[in-house]
Order: sequence, then structure tokens, then C-alpha cells
Amino acid sequence: MTLPMNALLIELTAAAYLIAAASLFLHLFRGNVASRLPAALLLAGFAVHSVALSRLFAGQGFAAVALMGDALLFNSWLMVGIYLLIHLKYRLTVLGGIIAPLAFLMTFAAFAVNRGATEVPPGFQTFWLPLHVTLAFLGNAVFALAFGVSLIYLLQERHLKHKKLTLVMRRFPPLESLDRLNYKLLMWGFPLMTLGILTGSLWAGIHWGDYWSWDPRQISSAIVWLLYGALLHGRITAGLRGKKAALLTMVGFCVVLGYFLWGDAIFPSRHAGRFE
Amino acid sequence: MIVQRQIVIVGLNHRTAPIDLRESVAFENSYVAEALGRLHGCPSILEGVILSTCNRVEVIAAASDENSALSEIASFLAAQKAQRHAAPLDEHIYKYRAGDAVRHLFRVAASLDSMVIGEPQILGQLKQHYDAAQRVGTVGAVLHRLFHRSFSVAKRVRSETGIGSGAVSVSSVAVDLAKRIFDRFDDKTVMLIGAGKMGDLMARHLQSVGVQTLMVTNRTFERALAVAENIQGNPIRFEDFVRYLAMCDLVIGCAGAPEVLIDAATVEKVLRERKQKTMFFLDIGDRRNFDPLINDLDNVYLYNIDDLKSVADENLQERASEAEKAEEIVREEVESFLRWLASLEQVPTITALRQRFEEIRQREIEKSLGGNLKDLSAEQRDAVQEMTAAMVNKMLHGPISQLKRNSANEDEDATLYVAALRKLFNLEKP
Repeated sequence: MTLPMNALLIELTAAAYLIAAASLFLHLFRGNVASRLPAALLLAGFAVHSVALSRLFAGQGFAAVALMGDALLFNSWLMVGIYLLIHLKYRLTVLGGIIAPLAFLMTFAAFAVNRGATEVPPGFQTFWLPLHVTLAFLGNAVFALAFGVSLIYLLQERHLKHKKLTLVMRRFPPLESLDRLNYKLLMWGFPLMTLGILTGSLWAGIHWGDYWSWDPRQISSAIVWLLYGALLHGRITAGLRGKKAALLTMVGFCVVLGYFLWGDAIFPSRHAGRFE
Repeated sequence: MIVQRQIVIVGLNHRTAPIDLRESVAFENSYVAEALGRLHGCPSILEGVILSTCNRVEVIAAASDENSALSEIASFLAAQKAQRHAAPLDEHIYKYRAGDAVRHLFRVAASLDSMVIGEPQILGQLKQHYDAAQRVGTVGAVLHRLFHRSFSVAKRVRSETGIGSGAVSVSSVAVDLAKRIFDRFDDKTVMLIGAGKMGDLMARHLQSVGVQTLMVTNRTFERALAVAENIQGNPIRFEDFVRYLAMCDLVIGCAGAPEVLIDAATVEKVLRERKQKTMFFLDIGDRRNFDPLINDLDNVYLYNIDDLKSVADENLQERASEAEKAEEIVREEVESFLRWLASLEQVPTITALRQRFEEIRQREIEKSLGGNLKDLSAEQRDAVQEMTAAMVNKMLHGPISQLKRNSANEDEDATLYVAALRKLFNLEKP
């Protein structure tokens, strides 16, 4: 990230995501942008993003994801990548309307945060840390998508309940598909998150000597894990679905995102780049 | 000298004439061929198509003289009118000529002139009546081009504006809403409570999008049996229907009885039983059969007949605003069609033909005199010029004088020749 070239690439990525977001909104509300364009822009952004990320890892090693800015960069990359995969199968252009602005915010934040980049401590060049980070971030990315799907669900649901039907709604998928996709994402996200926590704990046991140190990040993860676990349980056994499920999914992701962005600044934590 | 065929339209539609009058003028399908023959027999009518639907009866014609054509068609329609209608047609008839006629046909094809703006049937009807006229042989170069243009205008309007989007009838609005809630229908179960006509229609509409399981209940079991047989559903006794609700994803009420048949508490119980799977209630009878509080429950949607009607109205208004865009497209297309029509005039065609040949002659002369023949003397050059000019004139003499003779005789096929010449020698673009 210290390379000026990479800074430029990240700026380009953020710009592509911003333009993709704008074209998506035009597509949704005005219908005057061909619906393939937003996805193509997002794909272009993703390509530049991939180059920036691989240059970063080539330069500093994969452990660089332990730094705040690079972590954001990696996480948003995973999110956009999974969205593009889902889009291939479900043609969910609307979901892009939520993913693209989110990706823009994350890459933009990555650029802002990383100005005063620090070096990666040498003790971090191990096998467990990258595994932990990748799993945890994959979980985060899946939940980001579940957040988007839930938001669309709630908008669609609200329109239907209040009997206000608009042109935008016609571009939304049916509630049933959204709810099913939300469920699928939860089924993927929860095991990933669980594994992320387990590998993190294992790594902590090896490097810090204790598997669970009540670190604020660990606590927040545990809260979200319990929330999603309860949601999954409710879905399977008690028919917890639709609006309530969508709301809970969104709450869970807000905790993750909020903590990711601001938690470290408020609570001193070993996850915050102070690794001693 | 102009051989241009003038386009005229005479007719009556849902705005200008009451339905019984329209019906009395309408042409039966089996009768159209014979009527086209009679129409073609009118002295100034050169080409003709009869369009007859339940909302309009129109004659679209290409004529040698506008004014006489208009009155000939008017009396042709008056003769068609049944005797029992003594009232004259005149006040119910509209007459369009030239650009107005082209515009009218384009608007009809694009469904801008329909009773329900944007309804898709009119284009098919137009094609069907055009085909009929073509089979009888009353379509020439002008109407051929005019109708094909109108079909593509209709397609353009449909793809470039939202004129056909949004359901505008109660049952299609209901199906549209169901599609926002459910993503497939082959695994859904519908219950129909009551034997109203509207419910029957709705059930059929839902079957057309894939619903396979239907239950029918009615206070009189015999009626339920009859309806069930009619729409291939399963009849259920009225006392039992609540027990079956848990299996149903869509519930249609049109019992007509002025009482609430399903209340919110019942639905709450049913939802628990079916693990909160989404339900859609449609209350489409004159009287409310479902408790309005049902709509406040999670994962349940309730629309009554007024809700559906207001959605349909909104969609209709939306179509009206899309129609403005469509009018703009029609305007463009009319202009371009009139340009083509003007190009069919004989004089510009002859000029263009001469020009084309002259261009070729000049090009070849330049090539030769600059190449193989560059050593020719000035006199020899002049001789070559003269010879080639004479050749071109001789070659064009036959076709051009034939063309002029045709127009002098008001020969029917003059326009055809002009159109053919323009195509054969690529004179379409100046």
C-alpha cells in the first residue's frame, strides 16, 4: 500500500464502484441505463481491485490483511466477488444497488485509513492468521450480501403492505426468492463465521497463550455469532422468516460493520493493529 | 404530373359511435373478402384494407383522388349498416387524409387509440385484417409499405416506452401482485371461497401462471361441485374449509355474503400451523369476506377489490404518461413515411434515374480517358462523350416513356413501377 501505484489502483477501484452505484440507481429509478452496464462496471472495478490486492500481497505478504485498511480492501473484494457470482445465477441487479455503494465506502475508507501505514509485525507471517482472517472475512462478505437481500426484502414488503406499487418494485425479485436467498446466505455465512472464530481462537492460543481473552472484537463476534445462530435455529425449527428474519439479518451485519469501522477506535483491542 | 396515391381512412370507433352502431357496421370475418372486392370496385379506390374489431370499423385506402374516395368509402360503410339503424352514419364517422391518415393508422397500431391504452391485441387484429386484404389482392405498394411501417412503429413503441407495462384489469393486477410475492406457482395451493364469476376468472388466471392445486368451497355444496368441475378444482364442504387453510398459499374470497368468513385470529393460528409461510388473501367480492386486520400480520398480504382497482387505475395513469413518449415516436415515423411517399412521385424518380445513369457514365468516361484512351485527340474525346450520352438516353427512353404513359392513363400500376425502379436502381437515398 505504500507504493504510489497501488494508491492509484485503489482510487480507480473506488471510482468504478461509485460510477457503478450511480448507474444502478439510474437503472432502477429511471430505467434509462441498459441493465447490463452496472454489472459490467462493477466487474471492471473488481478487476482493478484484484490487481491492486495481488500487488499488495506480493509486496507485503498475505499477512498485510491484519492492517485495517488492507483488511477493508480484502473484505470488500470478497463481497463484490461473491455478489458477481450470485448475479451470474440470479440476475439480481437490484442487489448491486446496495453492494456497489457499500463497496465504494469500504474501498474509499481503505484508502483513507491506510495513509499512515504500519509494517506488518514479523510474528504474523504464520499459517493460522491468514486462514482466520480469510474465513472471518468470507463470513462478513456473505453477511453483507444477506444484508442487501434483507434490505430489498423489507422495501418490497413495505410496498406490498401499504399497497403502494411503484415502477421500482417491478425490478425487485419476488419476496419468496429474496427470503430463500437470505436463508441460503445464512447457511453459508454461519459456518464460515464459526470457523473464523475457531481458527482465530486457535491462533490466539498459539501466539498469545490464551484461546479466549475477552478482547472487544472477540466479544462482538460472539454476540453476532449468537444472533445468527438463533436466527438459523429459528428458521429451521419455528418458521422464523420474512420480515423478522430480514430485520435480524440486518441488525447482525450492522454490528459487524459498525465494529469493523469504529470499534477499534473506541475499545482498545489486540485486533486494532497493536499486536504486542 | 403526379401519380402519387393518396392515403385516406374513414371509420368509426369506440369514441365516436355507440357499440350497437359499431356492431351493425362490423364486417364478419367470413364476409370480409367479398366486401374488399366491392370496396376495390369503387372508381377512385386503388388499394384497400378493412379493419373490423369490436372497438372500431375502419377502411384504410390508397386512392387516386382524396375527395371522391372519402365519399365513396362513406357510402360503402353506410351500405354495410343494418337497416334497423335509421340514423345516418355521418355524425359518427371520422375521415382522415394524407399525413393525418398515416398518423391515425400508426396510433391505432401502437395502441394509442385503444379503449385501454397499450392493450396488445390490436396489433394482431391489424395484421390479420391486412393479411386478409393481401390474400384478396387489394394491397399494393403503398398500403404494403404503410402497414409494415405501422407494425414496426407498434414494436418500437412497445419496446421504447412503458405503455404496455403494468396490469390494468383487476385479475391481472392480482396475478401481478402474486408474482411479487411468490416466485413459482406450480407448488402453490389456491382456495376459492364462493362461486362468484370474478373468483372463477381469477382462478383461471392463476392456473395460467402455473397453479395446479385448487380448492373450491361454497355454502351450497352443489355450487362448489359445479365450480370445481368447471375449473378442475377439489370441492370442499363449507363447514370444513378453515381446516384446509393451512395448506393454502392464496385465498380468494368472493362469497357475496355480507359477513367476515376469516378473521385475523384464525389466520394467526393457521400461520403457526404452516410455519409462517407467506399467504396472500384476495377479497374480491362485493362484500368483504376477510377481516381487514389480516393485513397487519407478518407474512400475510390482504388486498380487497378496491385496492386492486386503485392499482389498476394507477397503472392506467402511468400508461397515459408513457403515451406522450409514444406520440413522439409516431410523429417521427409519420414524417419519415411521408418522405418516402413523396419520393414515389414520378418526376423526382425520373430525375433521380437520369442522374444515376449520368453519374455512371461520367465515372466510366473519366476512368477510360485517364487510362487506356488517354492518347485520344480532342475530337475523338468529344465523339466518345456523344456516343455514351446517346447510349444512356436510348436505354432510358423505353422505361421513362412507359412511366409517363402509365401516369397519363392513371394506370393502376404506376406507383408499383416507381417503387420498383427506386429499389432496383437504389434511388431510395439521394
